[in-house]
Amino acid sequence: MVKKSCIVFGVIFSLMMVGCAKKAVREEPLVTGKAEEEAWGKPTEEAEGVGIEERSLEASLERKKYPGIEGEFLESSLLNDIHFGFDRYDLTPKSREILSQNAEILLQHPGAKVQIEGHCDERGTIEYNLALGERRANTTKQYLLSIGVSADRMSTISYGEEMPVDPRHNEEAWTKNRRAHFIILSR
Amino acid sequence: MIYLSCIFIAAKMSSARVYIDIEAPELQPLPIAIDQFKNIDGYQPDLAPKIMKILTNDLTISGFFEIIHQGEFPQGNDATANPPNYMSWSTSRAEALVTGGYSAKDERLAIEFRLFDLVEKAFLSGRRYEGSVKDLREIIHHLANEITYWITGERGIFDTKIAFVSTATGNKEIYTIDFDGHNLRQITNNGSINLSPAWSPNGRVIAFTSYIKRNPDLYLIDLTRMVQTMLSTKPGLNAAPAWSPDGSRMALMMRREGNSEVFIMNRDGTHPKRLTKGWSSEASPTWSPNGREIAFVSDRAGSPQIYTMDINGRNVKRLTFLGSYNASPSWSPKGNKITYCGRLDGLFDICTINGDGTGIRRLTESSGNNEDPVWSPDGRYIAFSSTREGQSRIYVMNANGANQRRLTSTKGKESSPTWSPRMDR
Repeated sequence: MVKKSCIVFGVIFSLMMVGCAKKAVREEPLVTGKAEEEAWGKPTEEAEGVGIEERSLEASLERKKYPGIEGEFLESSLLNDIHFGFDRYDLTPKSREILSQNAEILLQHPGAKVQIEGHCDERGTIEYNLALGERRANTTKQYLLSIGVSADRMSTISYGEEMPVDPRHNEEAWTKNRRAHFIILSR
Repeated sequence: MIYLSCIFIAAKMSSARVYIDIEAPELQPLPIAIDQFKNIDGYQPDLAPKIMKILTNDLTISGFFEIIHQGEFPQGNDATANPPNYMSWSTSRAEALVTGGYSAKDERLAIEFRLFDLVEKAFLSGRRYEGSVKDLREIIHHLANEITYWITGERGIFDTKIAFVSTATGNKEIYTIDFDGHNLRQITNNGSINLSPAWSPNGRVIAFTSYIKRNPDLYLIDLTRMVQTMLSTKPGLNAAPAWSPDGSRMALMMRREGNSEVFIMNRDGTHPKRLTKGWSSEASPTWSPNGREIAFVSDRAGSPQIYTMDINGRNVKRLTFLGSYNASPSWSPKGNKITYCGRLDGLFDICTINGDGTGIRRLTESSGNNEDPVWSPDGRYIAFSSTREGQSRIYVMNANGANQRRLTSTKGKESSPTWSPRMDR
């Protein structure tokens, strides 16, 4: 009984997601920085297209490490965070748009394995926020899955309220901190 | 652990009489006179004021006693007389009297005390403790436990400790501290994010969650050997551990189908069994003292609320209905109450509720966010975190909300207290 309703819900969910995704896909030049232009050099005629995209991703990457957590990872300025309402884990139209853009990058780079981090603001209990972060990461993953990013490239982790990007205790900080964030574990 | 011998001197043949009713909503502390302990053999006379200070502090923070100091003793009274001159005490407010003495030759400490009922004019109890001078504080805690037994009908918990999380080093590490706020000790030092310490019922290990390996895994730390071992490392949450009362199992939060559920597993991490199912998030399990039920948080009704269920996952009942955010349940060791934090007027406060959902009492008010309540092993106190002084700190109060005091003051933000069992069983 429970299983059946889950499947039905899942199908409706994916259909909804796909519908929105199509609208959200936009042709937009990838933002490039100076460093990238330098690294880029003179493109050869035939290298245009995919080559540019690959170079763009390369140039967008930054090697990082979280203190106290084993291993390094890469962060790309092309994979943007999405944000959530207080105690919410549903995606806003804006979030879907951002996720579509993130999906485009990921689909162009099928070797990249990403981890989706679910984060919360400091309000509410530490443990319930762990559960909420798990949900935010999973909702994000399910959406990307529905628009074609394969499941075996995506892992999720909840950091609850443990890693605020803005340590202040006000609305502005809380809005920034309720997010799903993307890191690249390998490529 | 200290070597401590306790010699029973004498006591009234009857069992302890309850002088003050701990369950009363407005508790009247018992006025108790404490005479400075006599230095019997002339060694280490400086211990006398130390004994006085530790004992006075213990009995004061218990919330059950009002200390009558020497300056208020009746004139011309020799407090060391045995039995005391009851007639001369009749002019004093004091209803009980503690006298004692100690010897400290070669760092071997022997302390004796006697407790008298000044109203009934009766000797209540006397004991002798032996140990090392360096264990003075612990010995006095045992002595205070005994006095508490004779006055309230149950031993004190002055020998217990509280573990909590602090960001003093810049990241979340686990610390322990005595009930009286002394002996702060850093337990973990892995530089990672360490959460939700849970003290085992035998007092020897603390379970906690750490992100060392880029996953919220469950670890144990052995408090005597200070060795850290991994216990549960399933991808996703292995969080919010809660020991069963007999220490054989653990309830915790784990991920299934993209959301957090309540699981039970053996204490060695084997045989995880899922108790909750569905699309909602479940968090923060806590065991009933008889080991047959679990209280937990679920957002199945749209907002985080507290539920109870049998340990087979059946018979789920919603416990809280007031307010839109109730979380962090902790089941009292007596079994009749659950403490939790609820958002009221936009801020979190500590409440207690009866096991059947009746009798909600709000214990904190207008004092910042108050979260993570946890019972003492005797069910007479609640430790919790609060932002009432700005930065989040650990506080302790009596179970009726009286005597709220800050436990400590580490450099960082403090959270997630867990109480040790009694150590002097």
